[in-house]
Amino acid sequence: MQLPLLSLIVFTPAAGAAVVMFLRNDNAVRWTALAFTVLDFTLCIAMLTGFDTTTYEMQFTETHPWVPALGITYALGVDGISALFVFLTALLGWICVLASWVAIDRKVKEFMVSLLVMQALMLGVFCALDLFLFYVFWEAMLIPMYLIIGVWGGDGRVYAAFKFFLFTLAGSLVFLIGVIVLYFHGGQTFDIPALTAQHLPFPVQSWLFFAFLIAFAVKVPMVPLHTWLPDAHVQAPTAGSIILAGVLLKMGAYGFLRFSLPMLPEASVHYSTLMQALSALAIVYGGLLALAQDDLKKLVAYSSISHMGLVTLGIFTLNLRGLEGGILQMFNHGVTTGALFLFVGLIYERTHTRSIADYGGLMKVAPVYTAFLALFALSSMALPGTNSFVGELLVLSGAFAASLAIGSVAVMGALLGAAYLLGMYGKVALGPASVGLRFKIRDVDAREMAAILPLAIFVLWVGLYPKPFLAIIDASVKHLLAQVHDKGGAR
Amino acid sequence: MTAAALFQSILASLPEIVVVAGACILLILGQFVRKGQEHFLVWASVAIVLMAAFGTLMLSGEVRPAYSGMFIADRFAVFFKVVFYLATVLTFLLSQKYAEIEGIGSSEYYVLLLFALSGMMTMASATDLLSIYVGLELMALCTYVLTGFLRQQPRSNEAALKYVILGGVSTGIFLYGVSLIYGLTGTTQLDGMAAAVTGDPLDPGMLLAVVFIVAGLVFKVGAVPFHMWVPDVYEGAPTTITAFMSVGPKAAGFAVILRVFLNPLVAASDAWIIVAVIAVVTMALGSFVALVQDNFKRLLAYSSITHAGFAMFGVVAGGADGVASVMLYLLIYTFMNLGIFGTVIMMRNGDFSGEVIEDYAGFAKPHPGLALLMLLYLFSLAGIPPTAGFFAKFYVLVALVERGFVVLAVIAVLLSAVAAYFYIRIVMVIYMREPQRAFDPALTPFVRATLALTAAGTIGIGLFPAWFLRLAQYSLFGG
Repeated sequence: MQLPLLSLIVFTPAAGAAVVMFLRNDNAVRWTALAFTVLDFTLCIAMLTGFDTTTYEMQFTETHPWVPALGITYALGVDGISALFVFLTALLGWICVLASWVAIDRKVKEFMVSLLVMQALMLGVFCALDLFLFYVFWEAMLIPMYLIIGVWGGDGRVYAAFKFFLFTLAGSLVFLIGVIVLYFHGGQTFDIPALTAQHLPFPVQSWLFFAFLIAFAVKVPMVPLHTWLPDAHVQAPTAGSIILAGVLLKMGAYGFLRFSLPMLPEASVHYSTLMQALSALAIVYGGLLALAQDDLKKLVAYSSISHMGLVTLGIFTLNLRGLEGGILQMFNHGVTTGALFLFVGLIYERTHTRSIADYGGLMKVAPVYTAFLALFALSSMALPGTNSFVGELLVLSGAFAASLAIGSVAVMGALLGAAYLLGMYGKVALGPASVGLRFKIRDVDAREMAAILPLAIFVLWVGLYPKPFLAIIDASVKHLLAQVHDKGGAR
Repeated sequence: MTAAALFQSILASLPEIVVVAGACILLILGQFVRKGQEHFLVWASVAIVLMAAFGTLMLSGEVRPAYSGMFIADRFAVFFKVVFYLATVLTFLLSQKYAEIEGIGSSEYYVLLLFALSGMMTMASATDLLSIYVGLELMALCTYVLTGFLRQQPRSNEAALKYVILGGVSTGIFLYGVSLIYGLTGTTQLDGMAAAVTGDPLDPGMLLAVVFIVAGLVFKVGAVPFHMWVPDVYEGAPTTITAFMSVGPKAAGFAVILRVFLNPLVAASDAWIIVAVIAVVTMALGSFVALVQDNFKRLLAYSSITHAGFAMFGVVAGGADGVASVMLYLLIYTFMNLGIFGTVIMMRNGDFSGEVIEDYAGFAKPHPGLALLMLLYLFSLAGIPPTAGFFAKFYVLVALVERGFVVLAVIAVLLSAVAAYFYIRIVMVIYMREPQRAFDPALTPFVRATLALTAAGTIGIGLFPAWFLRLAQYSLFGG
């Protein structure tokens, strides 16, 4: 019998949560959580080494009947697209544990349990091959995330947690109806590959497309459904922000890739212009809002909206460069924005202020910190040599191929990105050191370095040699594109 | 009726006879129970219910019509009776300590509950409008008395009086509908009615009769516009009785509703439109009014109205899946609702009532385990996976969409998103506030057992729904 590798990957953090629940010492809790997330990450590497990049077929599949009467199975599997995100989630998992090492000082055990459960559910979302299973993972994430924001967050945490919960719930419930409608139109099965093979009539596709759009657009988030994001990000603890930006936002885009495009190809082609326009709006609007922020976390949060706009734009160009760029950009955004939130968290732990106006001349007191901050800020604005450059270039060239107007608007996003990020960096790191900060700041220590370094490595690795990453997704993207154009009509 | 037929009838209704006889014996023996020995009453009552349950399961092998078509022991009835047994036993277990604190632990309390149980069992098995009426009244009379059991409290007395008057009126309306049916068809048997009608099923007289019967029945499940009694009665009654009423009589009401509404006659009269409207309005009112409640029991009253509305959607859907979805919903609701009521009952200790939501502020800090249980029940009531509450809702939605009621399904989920807010608000109070006082929950072994069982049901059915789904589908009537 084959080792159920994906089940192991998904349930290792859950097992970790169960173990942590019985520990009494806070340090033991932290180390155990770290051990389980690192173990999970190693399993993930093992999965990637065995991953066959030449095929678009689902790999490492497992199928067990779950609710046979309704055609529900427990089915896991990964293709190139999901493999990349399973890897990203596992990577950010232990970074989150490190990021909360001292930042979380009360109810440590409960926090780590929530974090580990969250980790398991997120991995489940990316591995699920059954729509019902997917939905269970997708929706169950609300519980730990609600607690992470609401219990360990900032002063306005309760409001932010509610807003996050209700926005996401309302979106997901409409998605649920869509799922059930799909179930009856697709031959009473929840099996994702089988549903993908169905051809639905266009009106049904249209309805489903919008039902799915609401759920995914809330998660991405796309303008105008983005208003929960700044609140949630600002109030969430650092690890919560990293999870939100790094993984949760990707799930909306992943939903488009896994469901909207292959299952509803005609509708996807038909509404692609609308989606491109919404994406372009998000790019510019998010960028403009980021420009106006004084709060570091809010700035990064709004930049996320802008960057995720670029991702959805790439996806809905429906051409190879756009799609591959969009997916790579999802990964990049997870790494870079995750790192930026980590950096905001690190400095906040030391100074307890997030207002840009309170900072200045940080370079003199914390040179290592500012050096890495520069790297991630440059990566976020897509400087050549960093990861985002590759992704953004692909997306933009795809966008220009799709439409000159949309492409031109999207380029604005890059300009805005440079403006707010350089502005922020200038105020925080350069100039004379602000009076209050001059002596208090200590530079990054070894534990923090352990969290920063891997992210920095990926920034440069993808930036300088993106081939292995593109190779993972290549076959799956080509297959996806073929499906869309075969059934949805070529553009 | 021949001796053999009588014997068969008695055999079919043996569980009911066991409960009634047991209750009568307990009524006499209960007089000899000394103060401080009340736990004997709990054990005896549980034993009676278990005996009846054993009988029910032994007899569940075949369909047994009895008493000349008034009564039937089929799988549908067995399923509901199991739900009733579960609800009653858990209520007994929760009652012991609570009754002691409130000073209501006399034998009458347990006897009345047993009689109410026998009424509910009769309702589940009844196949004639008259036997339905008998079961309904037996159950209702017991719950009237139980509601007023806190004799010293005006709140409890008021609730009982209100309940009696409104309940009496609704029964009258129901009986009037029955008399119209009898006048039109010449029979009160559910099967006979359909066969007797030859004319237009949309005959105005018939429609009037159906509306009256609907009104009488939805009163019992607390659906709008017959919900007025629910919040007051739930708030005034002893909490254990509130817990019982929110699951047992409600499930019994649905058992009857399913039998009556899915009868070919009623199904032909477009009664589903009435039910659909009732379902939507019920859910909407329950969800929105619950948003502003501060009293936990009142909130749970509106929550139970909301859930009645959601289950009603399953009735609207009809068909095999619709009926099965209502049945599964009620089973799951029994677990999660008795769970959350268990935590409310447990808080009642000493002078502390634990009825106001604010009383739970910061509960998670000193009691993380109990808080986690409450979290589980509340998220299940809100319908978040992987809890059982999600699967219950999911299956109702599947049944709705299967019948093409997509718009109703969308309304149902949007209203349940509203309802989620007030459950999550309680989670917020428990987890995100600082404790104001020391908590001293009355955790007896009985209460612990109840919480363990309900938690196991809530999470177990959520993770492994297949078996319970099959059970519900297997228990449909006709089979």
